Amino acid sequence: MKTKKSPWSRVALYLFVFVVCIIILYPYFVMFTTAAKSNEEMYGNVLLPSVWQWSNFVDIWTEAPVFKYLLNSIIVAGGATFLAILCGIPAAYALSRMRFKGKAIFMGAVIMSQMFSPVVLLVGIYRLMTDMGLTNNLIGLILLNAAFNQAFAIWLLRGTFTSISSEMEQAAKIDGCGTVQALIRVLLPVAAPGIVTTLIFVFINSWNEYTIALTLISGDLLKPITVGINIFYGFNFIKWQYLFATSIFATIPVVILFLCIEKHLVSGLTSGGVKG
Amino acid sequence: MKENPKPHSIKKNSKPRSIKKNPKPRTLLNKRAIEPYIWLLPSIIMMGVLILVPIITVFQTSFSKISKAGVNKGFAKLDNYLWIFKQPAFRRTLMNTIVWTVVVVGVSTILGIILGLVLNEKFHGRKIVRAIVVFPWATALIIQSVIWKYIINADYGALNTLLLKLGIIKSNVNWTATPQMFFAWECFVGILVTVPFVTFCVLSGLQSIDASLYEAAEVDGASFWNKLFRVTLPLLMPSLTVSTVLNIIYVFNSFPIVWTISKGDPADMTHTLVTYLYKLSFTNQRVGEAAAVSVIGFMILAVCASIYMFMTLRAEKED
Repeated sequence: MKTKKSPWSRVALYLFVFVVCIIILYPYFVMFTTAAKSNEEMYGNVLLPSVWQWSNFVDIWTEAPVFKYLLNSIIVAGGATFLAILCGIPAAYALSRMRFKGKAIFMGAVIMSQMFSPVVLLVGIYRLMTDMGLTNNLIGLILLNAAFNQAFAIWLLRGTFTSISSEMEQAAKIDGCGTVQALIRVLLPVAAPGIVTTLIFVFINSWNEYTIALTLISGDLLKPITVGINIFYGFNFIKWQYLFATSIFATIPVVILFLCIEKHLVSGLTSGGVKG
Repeated sequence: MKENPKPHSIKKNSKPRSIKKNPKPRTLLNKRAIEPYIWLLPSIIMMGVLILVPIITVFQTSFSKISKAGVNKGFAKLDNYLWIFKQPAFRRTLMNTIVWTVVVVGVSTILGIILGLVLNEKFHGRKIVRAIVVFPWATALIIQSVIWKYIINADYGALNTLLLKLGIIKSNVNWTATPQMFFAWECFVGILVTVPFVTFCVLSGLQSIDASLYEAAEVDGASFWNKLFRVTLPLLMPSLTVSTVLNIIYVFNSFPIVWTISKGDPADMTHTLVTYLYKLSFTNQRVGEAAAVSVIGFMILAVCASIYMFMTLRAEKED
């Protein structure tokens, strides 16, 4: 909004922004400083570690199978992303380029499916995965993450495809391309930014997923990082410094990825949701 | 999809019967009618098996008698539901869930609008602040929750340390002395991680507002508040509807914050629906009853989701 700015409104604005940033950054400050504390200082009301224990960041890799956890997270998030996009692209293509009976019903089902989070379905999911023999199995996690991100993937991709004119594909078809070829050779390259946004978004969601993995995975070496960090949660005491040092490794990559797509993502979500 | 597929039609036309009955070759008609569904098939199979099947199972289970060992002992009528409604913990949970959803979504929406309006102004360091606001959204909920669990710990928590060093308090404060305080902290963390999404929805909505509207309003002598309530907020409504409905669903279903910070304790006083059903199902082995809680959760969310779907599809028709 354009208003004439009095110096006081300027001060208020900076003050507000400052307070917001402090509140948001405070947990990250705690995470970093605590990760570098020694075990004694952990419980001694110490603000900053007197000696920064950088060794904590080295120790976690031997204290627990942190590398394996991260690897599992990469496998699950990567696999789920691949699968969600692989199924999402044709669906989004049909929704944006074709007319058919039941389109509105399918769209409605996609929107409705967002309402069912894995948590409320856990009883059913657990049964299904037991029947399929996929409990304690990374493939189970990949399938579930892909399915529960499918709605968003279709939504974002459909928004992207709809915003691109179909003229080029029609021209390609006149030149003898089939529909599949026109999709792969003409539409997908133009839609690349939207596809990358979708990829990263699904990847982050799957990376950060906690509840399904907590329920389905019992084998220690199969846990993704979000569940794996619980290993520092002993019965008697919690190794906070290791917990936070590991959390930092789990957080930094996704925050960076998120910053890359933030602009595209929000316009995609809201325009996909409202306008199509 | 407009070109006439000749090669096949020649084959078909060689049979006179098909010409009589149907001027267009039938198999081709079918093929073209089926084609969109083939494109949808992978996604339908995936969502059908992994979402629809569990939904059906949950409904069935909620009407079944399930032993502690997990054996289905047949139809149980409404027993699971009756049992659930008799639990004082469930009634409290239901209240908590409503408070949790309304407070977190409501406060986040108001704060998100304010923050979005502020971040839409030009000021030094705006890009950095925008990046910082992304952090809570991108961080795994479980990690945020664990950090806050540490921060508010009564014995060695970081908040006590900070306030002691600043001289604001003289000795450690027990921030979670009562279930209400526990729950208030959980709401606080919920708000903290929800505000960024609202903020960015507002920011994207603001970008689509035509600047000339403000100029026109200024010519008419509109004040700051006039412009806010007569121009900005009405035009933000579509973005806010999306963010609010999605947030209601997310917050209602949010599991890690409550589960990590209090596990629903003390004495099952701080559960929300999802942590309660998790505990019933995986700690107390009451699977049938947990399924009943799930179904009650669906019912509540179904109302929200149908409103959302209705509005989304209506907005689409208006295009």
